[in-house]
Amino acid sequence: MAGLVTTFGAGAMTNSIREIRDADFLFVIGSNTSEAHPIIAMEMKQALHRGATMVVADPRAIWMTNLAEKHLRLNPGTDVWLLNAMAHVIIEEGLTDEAFIRDNTEGFEAVKETVARYTPEEAESVTGVPAEDIRWTARRYATTERAGIYYTLGITEHSHGTDNVYALSNLVLMTGHLGKPSAGMNPLRGQNNVQGANDAGASPIFLPGYQRVDDPEARAKYEEAWGVPLSPEPGLNLNEMMKKVGGQVKGLFVMGEDIVISEPNVSRLEAGLNNVDFVVVQDLFLNETCRFADVILPAACFAEKEGTFTNSERRVQRVRKAVEPPGQARADWEILVDLAARCGADWGYTSAAEVYDELARFAPKFAGISHARIDEGIGLQWPCPDDEHPGTVYLHEGGVLRGRGAFQAVEFRPPIEMPDPEYPLVLSTGRTLYHYNAATQTRRGLGANAKQPAAFIEIHRRDARARGIESGEMIEVSTRRGVVRCRAIVSRQVRPGSIWMPLHFPDARANLLTTDAGDPITGTAEYKVCAAEVKKLDAATLDESEREPARFRGSYYAERGPV
Amino acid sequence: MRIQIDGRDVEFEPGETILEVARREGLEIPTLCHDPRLDPAGACRTCLVEVDGWRRMPPSCATKAQDGMVVRTRTERVGRHQRALLALYLADHVQGADACETGAPCELHAMAAKVGAPTDWTPLEPVRVGRDDPNPYIEFRADRCIACARCTRYCAEVEAVTAISLVGRGSKTTIGTVDASSLLDTSCELCGGCIDTCPTGAMTEKRPLLQLAPPERQLEKVRTTCNYCGVGCQLDLNVDPATKKIVKITSPPVGTPPNDGNLCVKGRFAYEFVEHPDRLTTPLVRGEDGALREASWDEALDRAARGLMGVKERYGADALGFVSSSRCTMEENYLVQKLSRAAFGTNNCHQCAAT
Ligand code: SF4
Ligand code: SF4
Ligand code: FES
Repeated sequence: MAGLVTTFGAGAMTNSIREIRDADFLFVIGSNTSEAHPIIAMEMKQALHRGATMVVADPRAIWMTNLAEKHLRLNPGTDVWLLNAMAHVIIEEGLTDEAFIRDNTEGFEAVKETVARYTPEEAESVTGVPAEDIRWTARRYATTERAGIYYTLGITEHSHGTDNVYALSNLVLMTGHLGKPSAGMNPLRGQNNVQGANDAGASPIFLPGYQRVDDPEARAKYEEAWGVPLSPEPGLNLNEMMKKVGGQVKGLFVMGEDIVISEPNVSRLEAGLNNVDFVVVQDLFLNETCRFADVILPAACFAEKEGTFTNSERRVQRVRKAVEPPGQARADWEILVDLAARCGADWGYTSAAEVYDELARFAPKFAGISHARIDEGIGLQWPCPDDEHPGTVYLHEGGVLRGRGAFQAVEFRPPIEMPDPEYPLVLSTGRTLYHYNAATQTRRGLGANAKQPAAFIEIHRRDARARGIESGEMIEVSTRRGVVRCRAIVSRQVRPGSIWMPLHFPDARANLLTTDAGDPITGTAEYKVCAAEVKKLDAATLDESEREPARFRGSYYAERGPV
Repeated sequence: MRIQIDGRDVEFEPGETILEVARREGLEIPTLCHDPRLDPAGACRTCLVEVDGWRRMPPSCATKAQDGMVVRTRTERVGRHQRALLALYLADHVQGADACETGAPCELHAMAAKVGAPTDWTPLEPVRVGRDDPNPYIEFRADRCIACARCTRYCAEVEAVTAISLVGRGSKTTIGTVDASSLLDTSCELCGGCIDTCPTGAMTEKRPLLQLAPPERQLEKVRTTCNYCGVGCQLDLNVDPATKKIVKITSPPVGTPPNDGNLCVKGRFAYEFVEHPDRLTTPLVRGEDGALREASWDEALDRAARGLMGVKERYGADALGFVSSSRCTMEENYLVQKLSRAAFGTNNCHQCAAT
């Protein structure tokens, strides 16, 4: 996110979802697309149906690898090695777009120097991906005109997540796959409105529309609009904030999130939460964080309120009220207006549309967007600078937005925690098709419970056998930070030495296990790599329901499941 | 390159079918097995047209336009064919639109009425068999199936999992799974695309049927954006005007960005949470005894405001942290950062999951 702002000047998908079906080469890395973004996966399937080629780089044999020409099964956390080696090949074989580099970028020399040391042969020994596959992928990517990169949290949720984004950006810039249809660099957003929340300024460094808080001009504009002086000091990012809860941070306002499920290293966070003075939680359900709350405010859900979400392709779309909220629950925006009034700030909004208008007025990227305009047709894609502007389908068309695309030389840094004799397995966490994040919504649904009724880990047959574990049995996973109990699925998706765990289940919180070591720039924690051990639970310690093996029906994860 | 359709001279792109060119021109040709998301199958024969110089009428959905072609879509012969064919389909279908359309509107009934197909042909004995499937969402009603294979083609071509396929022969052709297993035990991802593409409501949502909800045409549709992932699919909440409850979720027409009429299991089906009894319905405050108790909005908001302002007074604004949410709207995120920056004076404001 921050990585893309640095390299290209805008942190969003460069291209539109609809363009994916016309791509000829798809490089999918760190994205379990068919589960996390099923609709994007459908677009990819259409491209493949048309004859496109796909390469999937992922430590797991995720579903999409069924359709991939090649599966680069890299060791977790070695993305920079793989990507730098691809850059190495592209430069060595003269496949760079020299004109694009000359006219549209800066800093290429430094990258060239760095990646010279990343030979495919050495990459093979670090990443486990055959050198020939690295070469093949690099060549195909560089020489295909409509070649797009698609990535998700598998790239960003590392202590070196920003480095990964830089390494990918370098590939885009050196091949000139930017500012064209069906190419570019496409981060697929995990949540409905991650893009929008960033755009709206829910960020410690950016005011709305990516205007920096330490930029006096930007601040002056908002000081005048809001009639108060603003702090020029960048604030704490979420990762820092969570680490300082109970220390520097003595009061918390939490809207629509269950931080004690979704944040890493939860035991430490919980200890901190016992040491704060005051916590307000605003949510649909009595979530886990509510245990620490002094005040809980009941909120309306998406079907009960007006507003907008901005999707991964920068499209601002409407959320419309269809039904009444239950009991006294109210829309978050209404609650915020009332809360502000009691804190001495009289904002006077009477509708969500008015809030949007204020957001648009001071953020040039969104200036042409309003509820009324969206209501006339379909959602608008920013940048959309004025009322006549049709929105922007793909970015960087007339040159890189930043002026010049910034190459960033990056060196490989190993993950913070590597396996050792005590914790010999590498644990990664992720998401599944049927559940969603903390699962406060999906776990209350029938489909998810029929397909994935219980928390589980995936483990390779070899590791399972060594520990006497059968599919469906109760096991215990431990790391330096905590222990959780759940089911084992002996799976063909993970490789020996690796386990994988979805983070959706409150009775087996993956984030008791994960480390909160964060990326130095974004603060995003390393959810994807930590050292762990698994052991079979003694039958005597199990209760009745746990003794029966759990059934994961029609599970693609299962060793002998349907394909 | 040009063709002539019903006397109009029309330009076309190589590769376009007669149907695509005709629809672009606003000419209506009835279709049943056609869905723009799928490869043409030419299976149902509803879309036949006359082409000058061709003895047989080709299916317009599966026939590419050729330079100089002269096409006629509303001749006597085409009309006769449409009426007879649709009457035949109707005879092997649930009789009467009202009885048929307990779920989604039936395209067959609508089309038959439009072309004036006779409805008095002797109904055939139903021979197509369905099956009971314990999956929670999708019901297959064999008596409405016309074996157009839209669902199975969708499952294979768009969702690419091939969980369902045509089984049986002739008039017994029906939709089945491997070993007749429950969808839950197949590669089915419960996307519900088979429901969306089915023209007759044979593939349908199970829950509205069990709840005896009114048919879809009596529901009010509210277009909105899915609240799960970052694709931001457009979807329609179908609300029962009498009970004011969501009965089901449908996808907008094919062609609507970003999802082109597709949805995933979460978008289409995971809305049970909206009416879940666990929803918070009243503000809660923690009492002296450490237990939560119900409170009025006045009391709760006062407590919240005093609590946060108290922290600021005691330790300064930077002792406060505001966690906003990528699950909430743009407007709400804007207001949280405004609250944090303008009302309290700190930039300690971040959305959860800033990735
Ligand atoms: S729900 Fe989706 S995956 Fe399942 S049978 Fe229907 S189209 Fe196929
Ligand atoms: S329907 Fe599925 S793919 Fe579409 S936005 Fe919702 S969760 Fe994402
Ligand atoms: S729509 Fe053309 S044959 Fe069915």
